[in-house]
Amino acid sequence: MPSSDIAITGLGAISACGNNVSETLLNFSSGKRNGGKVTLFKTELDYPVFQAKIDFPQSANTMRSLSLATTAASEAITDAGFTNGFGKLRIGICLGTTVASQLNDTDFYQQYRTQKTAPMNSVDRYLKSNLAQALGEFLKIRPHFCTTIVNACSSGTDAIGVGLCWLNQDYCDLVIAGGADELNRVPLDGFGALSVVSKTLCAPFDLNRTGLNLGEGAGIIILEKSATARNRGKNPELFLKSYGLAADAYHLTAPRPDGSGLEQALEQAFEKAKILPKDIAFVNAHGTATKDNDLVEGKVLARVFGPKLKFLSTKGFTGHTLGAAGGLEAVFSCLGLREGWIPASAGFLNMDPEIGIAPVKQKTQINGNYAISTSLAFGGNNAALVISKHPALI
Amino acid sequence: MHIAGMGIVFNRGRGLANLEKALIEGWIMPNPVYQVSTEVVTDKQVLKETRRADHFTKMATLAAFDALADSGIPEQSKQKLGIILATALGPHVTTFNFLDDVLTYGDSGVSPTLFSHSVHNAVTSYIALNLQTRGPTLTMTQFANSFHQALILAECWLKEKRCEYILVGSVDQTGKVMEYICSQKLNIATDGKIKPFNLSKTPECVPAEGSAFFLVTDNLKYNKYCALSALPQSIQTETDLCILDSDGMCGNEEPYRKINSYRMTSYAPIFGSLLTLSSFSCLAGAWMLKNQKLYASPVKDNPHNLNILTKTEPFLIHKIKCLRYNCYQEELAIHLRKGEA
Repeated sequence: MPSSDIAITGLGAISACGNNVSETLLNFSSGKRNGGKVTLFKTELDYPVFQAKIDFPQSANTMRSLSLATTAASEAITDAGFTNGFGKLRIGICLGTTVASQLNDTDFYQQYRTQKTAPMNSVDRYLKSNLAQALGEFLKIRPHFCTTIVNACSSGTDAIGVGLCWLNQDYCDLVIAGGADELNRVPLDGFGALSVVSKTLCAPFDLNRTGLNLGEGAGIIILEKSATARNRGKNPELFLKSYGLAADAYHLTAPRPDGSGLEQALEQAFEKAKILPKDIAFVNAHGTATKDNDLVEGKVLARVFGPKLKFLSTKGFTGHTLGAAGGLEAVFSCLGLREGWIPASAGFLNMDPEIGIAPVKQKTQINGNYAISTSLAFGGNNAALVISKHPALI
Repeated sequence: MHIAGMGIVFNRGRGLANLEKALIEGWIMPNPVYQVSTEVVTDKQVLKETRRADHFTKMATLAAFDALADSGIPEQSKQKLGIILATALGPHVTTFNFLDDVLTYGDSGVSPTLFSHSVHNAVTSYIALNLQTRGPTLTMTQFANSFHQALILAECWLKEKRCEYILVGSVDQTGKVMEYICSQKLNIATDGKIKPFNLSKTPECVPAEGSAFFLVTDNLKYNKYCALSALPQSIQTETDLCILDSDGMCGNEEPYRKINSYRMTSYAPIFGSLLTLSSFSCLAGAWMLKNQKLYASPVKDNPHNLNILTKTEPFLIHKIKCLRYNCYQEELAIHLRKGEA
C-alpha cells in the first residue's frame, strides 16, 4: 500500500501551550509563553519549566502521563469523528513515553529504603500506566497491535512511525499514535546533572542559548487508511507520507557531531515519500536549545535544505516534553500545513553564525504541501516524519 | 522471517553451549532467584565500549553480539542491520540507584551517568555503538506481550525493506526492590521450583533475569534455525510441540489447559519467571528444530496428566508453537517452522 494512502484524520494536543488544539493555536498566534516554576513536586532546583495547566483527580491512581495521553487521545478521536467506538475497525495503539515506563517514585523508594517495605499504590499506579496498554483499557479495546515506545526523546515520533508501518502492512485499519510525558523530578534532576538545563526560558537555535527547559504534555494523531476514512464519510486533508529512522552509534547522550545520523533519517524519509528537500514547506525541528543539539541539527538543516528554509522549534512554547515531543510536534506540523502558517520560533533572537541559518522570527505564512518533523534522542536516535496535505494537489 | 543467529545470557551462563547444557541438565534450584552472575557479563573484548554500562545493558549487549556472530552474515551487512529490543521493566536497578542519589545528595547532587543509563534505550544505543551499526534502533516496553510486539515490528521492517537484517531480542533484570515488589504482587515458590504444568489459578513464580537475541532476516539463505512469526494471522492450527510460558508471572494459568491434546513442555524452570520469557521459549524451540531433538521437561510435576516431554531424545520436528496467556488471559503465539517461512 502506498504511504500516501495513510491519512491523518484526528489531532489532539495538551501542553503548557494549551489544553487542546484550539488553545494551542491561540498561544502560537499571540506568541504567549507559559513557562514558570514547577508546582507538581518539590525540588531544590530553580529551573523554569513548562507545566500543563490541568489538574487530574487523584482517585484514578494513574500516572499523570496517562491522564495527559487520554486527554489528547480523546480530543483526537473526537476530531476524527468517532463518537461511539470504532465498530469493526482493526485498531492499533502505539505511544511513546519516557517517564511512564519507569517506577521512579521517590516517595515509594524512600520508604522502601528506610523500612524495606512500602505500600503498593505507587507500584499499582506504574503497572496501570503502561501508556499503550492503558489507553486501550481506557478506550475499552484490546488491540492486537499495541505497544509503548521508549526511544527517549524521539519516542513520540517513532511511535507514529511504527503506526505507519503497521498500516502500510495492512495489520490495522486505524492507529492511535503519539506520545505523552509528565514533568517529573527524576528527569529534571538528571538533565540538571548533565548541565543542559537553562535557568531562563529556552532559546532554540539562538546564538546565546543556554539549554533546555523541561515540559510535559501529550500529542496524539489518528492514522487511518484513506479508504477507511472515506468509507465513513471523512474527507482527509492530511497524510503521513513517510518515516525515517537512523542511529548515530556514537555516544549515549551527545549527538554525532557531523549530524550524519539525522541526515540519514531525513534521506530515508525523502526516499520513502518520493520527494526532494525542495518540496518541503517547513521543518518543525527538534531544537531543544542545548548547545550541542541545535548546532548539529541546525547545520544538517542548512546543509540539506539550504539557507531559505523556513523552520522553527516549538519547544519555546512547550519546553522539552521528552517522550511527548514527537507526538506534539507531529500535531504542530499538521496544524502548520492545515492553517497555512507557523508561529515564531519562540525565544530566538540572534543567529548563531556557526549554524548559519535562522528559524522564523515571526508568525509566517506557509506555501507548500509537505512538512517535516524531526526528533533527536539520547542514545543517538534520529527520526523524521514527512506529513503532507491535499494529495490531489501533489 | 528466518532466524540466522541466536545469543543468550541467562542464569546458567552465556551462549548456546550453556543452553544445550541446561536443557540436558534440567532444573537446578535457583539461589534464591534466577540471577546472571557478574562473571558471566565480563567480556573485556566485546564490552570494550560498554565499560560504564550497567548489568542490564551488558546482558543484552552480549546476547546481541553473540546472535550476530552466530549468524555468519557478512561484515558489510551490518550497515543494513536494525535493532529492536523488548523489555517489560527496563533498567530499574539503575533507576533505583539514581533515586538513591536523589535521596542522599539532593536534586543537585545526582550522577549524570546513572541518569543517562536509566533510560530504557541506553541498551540499544550501546549495542549500536558496539557493533558500529547505523540502522534503525527501537526499544519497546509492555507488560503483556512486549517480545511478540518486537517480533511483529521486525517482520514489518523486513517487509517494507527498512533493513535486511534485524537483531531482535529482550532483556529484563532482577533486583532487590523488584524482588520485594514481586513478593507483594505475586506468589513466590518457596521451594524455588516453578511448576509449569500445575496450571493453577494462583501459580507460583521465581523471578529471573536475562537476555535472548535473534538475528532475523527474510533471506532464506541465512535460515540457520527455522522460520518464525508472531503475527496473529500466521496462526498454525497443527503443531508438533507446544512450549508453554506458564511461569507464574501472569496470574491465572488455567487457560493453558485448553491445549491439553498437544505434546507440550515448558522451560520456565530453566530460565525462571520473567515477563519476556517468550523470547527464551522461542530460543529453546529454535534450538530444538535445528537439532531435531526433544528435551525433557525440566520439572515433571504433572497433576493434570498432560502429554509432557519426559525424555531427551532425537525426534523429527517440523513445527513448534510457543504459547503464552498474558495477564488479560489472551492467547499469544510465536510459530516456529523448520525450513521456509
